[in-house]
Amino acid sequence: MAIETQYYLLLSAAVFCIGVYGILTRRNALIFLMSVELMLNAANINLVAFSFHHGNLTGQVFSLFTMAIAAAEVAVGIGIILVLYRNFEDVDVTKAATMRW
Amino acid sequence: MTSRPRLATDVNVVNGLAAVALFAVMAYVFMTASFTRPSGFADGSITASIGYAMFGLVDQAAIESEGFLVAFEIIDVLLVAALVGAVMLARREGDSGVVTALTDGGRRLRGDGGSDSTGDGTDEASTDGGEN
Repeated sequence: MAIETQYYLLLSAAVFCIGVYGILTRRNALIFLMSVELMLNAANINLVAFSFHHGNLTGQVFSLFTMAIAAAEVAVGIGIILVLYRNFEDVDVTKAATMRW
Repeated sequence: MTSRPRLATDVNVVNGLAAVALFAVMAYVFMTASFTRPSGFADGSITASIGYAMFGLVDQAAIESEGFLVAFEIIDVLLVAALVGAVMLARREGDSGVVTALTDGGRRLRGDGGSDSTGDGTDEASTDGGEN
């Protein structure tokens, strides 16, 4: 017996909102990266769920590409956080308020 | 120096209510929407079909899909560009000697710990961490 699609959507909404909560409440740039990762994975859950819903594998293949883009985003993000720490000696996102220093 | 993890007390819970409200709205919409039964996949290997779809060989796949060969190549270029960009960002300019890793968890390894602006009690954590 297959699980109904709306429960996958509910799980995805929960994971996405945990990511939004993390971004809205925390100030550590590394936790920002983790929260963005949660939101991307929520989108992946939706893609896989609708792939099963329609019996078409396009969503599953597309979620693999989403994971690759998430890896690229994290690589650039970690580089930015390293530079941020080197310049401000902190990873607090509210400290970096200027574009150049 | 190690310090045990602490519950963050500097979180902005009022902003977080927006995320909770968003979840409430989305949960209401999803639970009241009417979906048909999931149709499921046809018989055959899902993994092999994903592999065929990624290389554009959709006529050999057991399960229907689209071809993704162009997207596969573009993602390849994107990953290389992002990794090279990350290395370029993270490279330390100036001193070409041995680079020590940043192992202090984002905080200065000083005795006073005065530059800690988050105020979440990490100063106490660094002092009593040795006894626990």
